[in-house]
Amino acid sequence: MDISSIWNTIIIEPMVNTLLGIYSVLTSIFGPENMFGLAIIIFTILIRLITYPLTYQQMKSGQAMQDLQKSKEWQTIQKKYKDNKEKLAQEQMKIYKEKGVSPFSSCLPTIIQFPIIIGLYQSIIRALAVTPTQLLGLSFNIYPFIPAAAIIPLNQHFLWMNLSEPERLNVMGVAIPVLTILVVITTFLQSKLMAPATAQPGDQGASMSKAMNLYMPLLMGWLAYSFSAGLALYFITSNLIGILQYGAMGRLDWRNIIPSRKTDSKVK
Amino acid sequence: MKKEQTSFVLLLTILALLLASCMGGAASTTTSWPGLSVHDDTAYLAYNQFVYAIDTKSGTELWRFPDENDRNVTFYAAPTMTADGQLIVGGYNKVLYSLNPENGSENWTFDQATDRYVGSALATGEGIFAPNADYSLYAIDTTGKLMWSFPAEEALWAKPTADPDCTCIYLPSMDHRIYAINAEDGNLIWKTDPLGGAIVGSPSLSPEEILYTGTFNNEVIALSAENGSNVWEHSAENWVWAGPILDEEQVYASDLNGNLYALEKITGKIIWQINLESAITEPALITPDALYVSTENGILYAVNPDSTIRWTREVSGKLNAAPVLAAEAILVAVTDGDDLIVAFDANGNQQWTFSPEE
Repeated sequence: MDISSIWNTIIIEPMVNTLLGIYSVLTSIFGPENMFGLAIIIFTILIRLITYPLTYQQMKSGQAMQDLQKSKEWQTIQKKYKDNKEKLAQEQMKIYKEKGVSPFSSCLPTIIQFPIIIGLYQSIIRALAVTPTQLLGLSFNIYPFIPAAAIIPLNQHFLWMNLSEPERLNVMGVAIPVLTILVVITTFLQSKLMAPATAQPGDQGASMSKAMNLYMPLLMGWLAYSFSAGLALYFITSNLIGILQYGAMGRLDWRNIIPSRKTDSKVK
Repeated sequence: MKKEQTSFVLLLTILALLLASCMGGAASTTTSWPGLSVHDDTAYLAYNQFVYAIDTKSGTELWRFPDENDRNVTFYAAPTMTADGQLIVGGYNKVLYSLNPENGSENWTFDQATDRYVGSALATGEGIFAPNADYSLYAIDTTGKLMWSFPAEEALWAKPTADPDCTCIYLPSMDHRIYAINAEDGNLIWKTDPLGGAIVGSPSLSPEEILYTGTFNNEVIALSAENGSNVWEHSAENWVWAGPILDEEQVYASDLNGNLYALEKITGKIIWQINLESAITEPALITPDALYVSTENGILYAVNPDSTIRWTREVSGKLNAAPVLAAEAILVAVTDGDDLIVAFDANGNQQWTFSPEE
């Protein structure tokens, strides 16, 4: 079995069939109009629920890092080795090891998103099957309990968009990428709201966090602009649910986006 | 800290490129298999960026359209010859082309569709009927002018079937129905109830005015051409992708499990069934002494009328397109193979191959 078959069996087929299953249930209740878009939204909620332990871990790691960086021990080595970067890094690693904190553990949930994004994009394109090759491929990937004959071809329209194509809303002759704009805004909001306040603005964590806050919205926006609208729908839903999840855990830090409230207490 | 930040941005950029290449890989599968037709001594092949004209005696390329490779223009539907000698071919770029079959020059184009042409156009005395994935059938005159259009409820991937007795055409649709349409004015004559699954193969019409079709609901269905009512149904084991074909006594149908069925035309009773082990996506070719069937795993079967296998030939690549009869050869168009066309004689001897020069 080659890598592409393993990827197909473990990631794509379950994703495609979950999407088809949700679509099938929705279609039997409400009819096919707009239902694939709704299926993507429900599917995203499922993904966020499944990856909730990772989200929780990310939050905990962020908090542990924040506490560590506020500690006296940490502050001391920052001052002591401020002119010796190599030694500082060694000492920091020592403290990380002692306290059982990994500086990269809070990045893991973001990294985990990448295979999900690739898999979801391929699954959306495969499920919509707008060409004979794709439809033939889909026919070999459908689980027997999915009522394929009744639901194929899937209705690819959702509101004003065709989910198989990059989204643009035509307003008086101007094609506006509404979903791309929403993806950039919600990714930025999510990054900012969930970023823990760092004790040392110049440290490695702060630096990476800053880069992440800037580049992730642009990267996600570029993907939303270039690929199918179904993927952009996933990004927006996922971001909003991420914000809600963090809000429910009392971890949103509104000070990061409202400068006038910098000194206010954090929302707990 | 600048160094760490730069490394991190670099890592993100690499991930972005990786992401784009993985997703691009999925997008690049947005294709189909070759469309092949033969007229007189010339084979016309639509595949990827070109339509090729090939001499069926030697396999040499006569011309190609367009002259230059244009990544935005791709062709997969088998070209159709009109009675007045125009070669009609639709592209994935939403444009229908009329070409001069002598030299491949463009006569006219029709660009009012809003999606790709997956299925071939039908040409009759009444006009050119081009099904499009934008859910519409476009009826065009021989100068490229729109006569009428007919809206279905889903994409149209299959070539309609003509019925000269009633100047009407039968339009199979992915909305699970077949429509009978007046070829002169586009008015609906009848439509079937939903048949349980999408239809992507062309129906066949018998002299007894029975229309035979196959659906994704794993069924071969015979319908009255007069009113669309069911005459009989036969269950298959998987999706019936290819349209059934007929000889005097029997109807031959196939499914994606590789089953080939011979059924009685009038009753639908099974005469024989054989399994060819790989998906069959287009109709068999009927000749007086054999059926030729191509399967997705790249094997061409010559099947005797009693269902025994006369010979098999394997090519490099997939055989999704239907075999086509030329004067002295059986031609198969190959997907993802070493050659684009392989020509065999009736005994299975390879006569020539066609691979376009870059």
